[in-house]
Amino acid sequence: MNGTALLFLILGLGLIAWIMGRAKAAIFVRESVGKTRGYVNSLPGYHGWYLALWAVIPPLFFLALWNTISPALITNMVLASPLASELPQDGFARAAILSEARAIAQGFQETAFQAKSPGFVSLYKEAISFYGWIGVLLTLVLFFAGALYAYTRLKPDLRARNKVEKLVMVVLLIASLIATVTTIGIFASLIFEAIRFFQMVSPIEFLFGTSWSPRSNISEGYNNGYGAIPLFWGTVFVGAIIAMIVAIPLGLMSAVFLTQYASPKWRSWLKPVLEILAGVPTVVYGYFAALTIAPAVRDFAVMIGFSNAASDNALAAGVVMGVMIIPLISSMADDSIAAVPSAMRDGSLAMGATKSETIKKVLLPAALPGVVGGILLAVSRAIGETMIVVMAAGYTANLTANPFDSISTITVQIKALLTGDIDFNGPQVLAAFALGLTLFIITFLLNLMALRIVKKYREAYD
Amino acid sequence: MTDSVNQTMAATERKPTNWADPAMRKRIAKRYTAEKRFKATGLFAISLSIIFLAFLLFTMIGNGLNGFRQSEIALEIDFPAVTAGASAASISGANADSQLRSMDLPGVIDLALSENYGEAGAEYLTANAATKLRSTLINDPLMIEGKAKIWLPAASEIDIAYKGKGEEEIEKAITQLKAKDQIRTSFNFDFLTNSDATDPADVGIWGALKGSLFTLIITLSMAFPVGVLAALYLEEYAPKNRFTDLIEVSINNLAAVPSIIFGLLGLVVFLTWFNLPRSSALVGGLTLALMTMPVIVIAGRNAIKSVPPSIREAALGIGASPIQVVFHHVLPLALPGILTGTIIGMARALGETAPLLMIGMVAFISAPPQGFTDATTALPVQIFLWSDEVNRGFVEKTSAAIIILLIFLLGMNALAIYLRNRFETRW
Repeated sequence: MNGTALLFLILGLGLIAWIMGRAKAAIFVRESVGKTRGYVNSLPGYHGWYLALWAVIPPLFFLALWNTISPALITNMVLASPLASELPQDGFARAAILSEARAIAQGFQETAFQAKSPGFVSLYKEAISFYGWIGVLLTLVLFFAGALYAYTRLKPDLRARNKVEKLVMVVLLIASLIATVTTIGIFASLIFEAIRFFQMVSPIEFLFGTSWSPRSNISEGYNNGYGAIPLFWGTVFVGAIIAMIVAIPLGLMSAVFLTQYASPKWRSWLKPVLEILAGVPTVVYGYFAALTIAPAVRDFAVMIGFSNAASDNALAAGVVMGVMIIPLISSMADDSIAAVPSAMRDGSLAMGATKSETIKKVLLPAALPGVVGGILLAVSRAIGETMIVVMAAGYTANLTANPFDSISTITVQIKALLTGDIDFNGPQVLAAFALGLTLFIITFLLNLMALRIVKKYREAYD
Repeated sequence: MTDSVNQTMAATERKPTNWADPAMRKRIAKRYTAEKRFKATGLFAISLSIIFLAFLLFTMIGNGLNGFRQSEIALEIDFPAVTAGASAASISGANADSQLRSMDLPGVIDLALSENYGEAGAEYLTANAATKLRSTLINDPLMIEGKAKIWLPAASEIDIAYKGKGEEEIEKAITQLKAKDQIRTSFNFDFLTNSDATDPADVGIWGALKGSLFTLIITLSMAFPVGVLAALYLEEYAPKNRFTDLIEVSINNLAAVPSIIFGLLGLVVFLTWFNLPRSSALVGGLTLALMTMPVIVIAGRNAIKSVPPSIREAALGIGASPIQVVFHHVLPLALPGILTGTIIGMARALGETAPLLMIGMVAFISAPPQGFTDATTALPVQIFLWSDEVNRGFVEKTSAAIIILLIFLLGMNALAIYLRNRFETRW
């Protein structure tokens, strides 16, 4: 019997348990009619849940546990047989034979490629069915033990609802903890691999080296091409400089126009357009940048005299990224302009200031913290953006301020190092995690700062 | 008397603004021009965004519509001569497919091509033409007993050239074909039903679409329950303490973590620690679920917040427990808002590429996935893979795939907007 069938069996039995618990509680209710004592504490449904949860949860936990430990038990049983002495001593060849025999026994594979594996197939079949039946037996025993225990406790005065609700609260708490666990998981998975990387390559080379061309064989004390400064610069140049030069003025002015000048009718048409711009997937922007914008930029550069302009230039990627960021800045600015008390605006208008003077001298200064928070979030979004730079910017890491030159970013290099053949212990793959850790820390700090600023500012006017 | 003198004195001291004064008029005119200029700048800024969007959509549709059309070349085949007198009966029924497979249809096509078009004809059709011929014959077995004219998909170079931009030599061939009415374009159904292939004329989107669907099913089934439950806990039950603050900070932060970082997490946790199958919909879905969950939590909290407290108080007042209040009253009322947020989160997940690349979805996979653990591609990943191809035939296919992706995204967003307008209650 396989795991899925067993799972459904347990759930089906759980349904029966629910019906039984409910029926028994219904009898309590009927008996208590007209009596002053023997009042039933909870609704019959809660008794049903009480019984079903007691019956189902222990076997489910057991099943999860059993699935992780039973492969090891099966292997042990196979290795305990006399045939195991024929296996080669070499660990790798051994594992290949065993895993093939197992795959055939489970029906995933039909023919054997290793000479010795067919002998183990029957052994595996035997062990799998042996432990399979033990698993089924233990699951059922647990189910009935739990059900029996809960059934004997069903009484009119059982506080079934409170007990079921306590479990619901635990589930809610676990659900909300998953976000925290994920954050810790990100940090842990990045830092473990990054530490392994820094055991091979010194952090000083990584943080201050100026040449990036990762090599797979590391020699101690030399420059191994893991200097990430060109990548840091490329990331900042594309994401925080070019993209922001495009996005900040356009996003701010869009927000100003939408909130202050556009009539409600226009606003209801223009806002969705910005939302669509925000909803276009980055891979589409990337393709557009590579197909249309980048060649145009290169032609333009050649025309004005940069004869060595690259087709994967920084400018195209940065401009398209900036357009992608416009809706983000616009909506953040929109929110913070709307949060400025209208008394300030009315006061300025009453003094005879024109609308634009009011906006420039009163609204924007008052909304500045929110706008700055929005810009920080936008920068964090831009430097973490992958697809646009992967498709439109290049893989060669140049340390240059020429926007027509090819430039590479942190995310491009992570993608380049991790796709293709992966040697999980090689420095190149580990370097990707060191880059990822750097990126995570930078964006984390930016986000934290942005959220602080936005929050603090909101409190000032509330 | 003295009062009026004082008044006139004061008036001479503080001269009233003379609005008719030319200097003053000039200043006002200047301020008004500045005002107009500012407004025009705002209009310019937003028009620029609109123009960019229009240009993007225009380019994609202009390139992509060709991807939905396939050039076909007429091929006259004298079946009795080349198939040694196969009868209609032998290729109909249950074993028609295997019968036709044993018949060397590629050879039949090659022969017919050289008869019809001479030496140059060998390059006219795609490698896939035999498959197409087979399915045509299965649909109409009688054809094999006589001479028949069949339209078969043209090779990628011919396809590109016929739709507009080709090399001189091929253009010449096409003019000849056109003159004899032996070339046409038709709607490319194969693009919707095929999977990835090496020849751009044979590629299709179905495998990627199915992969995306499987991935989104996993994402939805993981992220929605967890996100809603977390939102309920944080909004309704969480005590105000440092522990809750920690949860809130991590959710807000997760919502802004770059997507590629989630890919790294998926690579380490799901692939190396848990040993789940590489580039499968399962791993892709789990990775995207971690990314989508904070979006659902934030949208869910806003929706729950907007349910007025009077409803909670009324339910508590007639004896509902805190759990009953939330699950019987607050959650149903907040559900439209939560669903809107969920759909928007799912739309984002559908367009996401970078995390999927990290978990190995960059392989060439020519069969649609059969289950959640099969290796698969997803729609955006397929777009990325095609965009990297050198063959020019892939340009229109990439744009066509982008059109399909955008249609799905627009559909999802429209659904979200509809739900918001239809079910949102203003209290």
